[in-house]
Amino acid sequence: MLSHCGFVNAGRATSQADPPVIASRRRILARTRLDFWLDAVLLVAYTLAYSLGFTGIAVHEWLGIGLGVVLLVHLTLHWDWVIRTTMKLVRPGGRERFVWLVNLLLLLCMTLCIASGILISEVALPELGINLPVSSFWRQMHDVTATLTLILVPIHAALRWRWIVGMARRFTAWRPGRPL
Amino acid sequence: MKFLRHLAAVVLVVAVIVGLGVLWAHASGGGAGIGSGFKQVPSHQALLRIRQIKAGVIRLQPDDGIHLADTGNLIRTCEIEAVLATAVIAISVVRRWHRRMRRNAAAGA
Repeated sequence: MLSHCGFVNAGRATSQADPPVIASRRRILARTRLDFWLDAVLLVAYTLAYSLGFTGIAVHEWLGIGLGVVLLVHLTLHWDWVIRTTMKLVRPGGRERFVWLVNLLLLLCMTLCIASGILISEVALPELGINLPVSSFWRQMHDVTATLTLILVPIHAALRWRWIVGMARRFTAWRPGRPL
Repeated sequence: MKFLRHLAAVVLVVAVIVGLGVLWAHASGGGAGIGSGFKQVPSHQALLRIRQIKAGVIRLQPDDGIHLADTGNLIRTCEIEAVLATAVIAISVVRRWHRRMRRNAAAGA
């Protein structure tokens, strides 16, 4: 949920600003930076985890489990947005509702994909000494939800492309003498 | 403290979704992983896959980590993501452009 468009200008501290204001802006900027890099790591990790032929089953499974943990953090960091947007759903206006719907579908698919992946694990769980019987239901569930997440993840990211472009410009461009 | 409260809410939501998934598995009789005793016949797709593996149509990779030689799979994933993201961005740009034109027309009238 790349939903911190309001934080784009948060770093423009003026020399006249009060110390508490500057401290608050620094906090917001640090949080925005955390969101940006965490989202970037999630996207790269998801892309790698989806490419089973490239990673092999062991990396795929451990990456998937790690992805599940980081997704919990991602969702926790954006929980305010979830509550705020859910409350606003009754009001007219389509865009945020569409974003909310995409995010809800992604949450459902990603959760079921990771859960089913753990249940059909061939390497990670046996390494931890847990052996579950094979289930075609969870295997099918994993295939279907993985395909759906491949559709939903780029939509989810692209719906916030302005924020991503703004943050990428801010955090990746090296400007001498200008602290980020 | 706020983070922990939110994390608890997120874990609860995730647990509800997984719980519903488990219920679905039991209802459809396929939750062999969580206690259901009977084995299902392999699906047509699974049998087809086994046949393709035996015939050499699908090449199996050893499970010893990243296979730099098989970047085709990774590239395909990136391509699908890029195409979908580009489509969404294009729609967003066109919609914004239309909105701006409408606003300009209304301001001019």
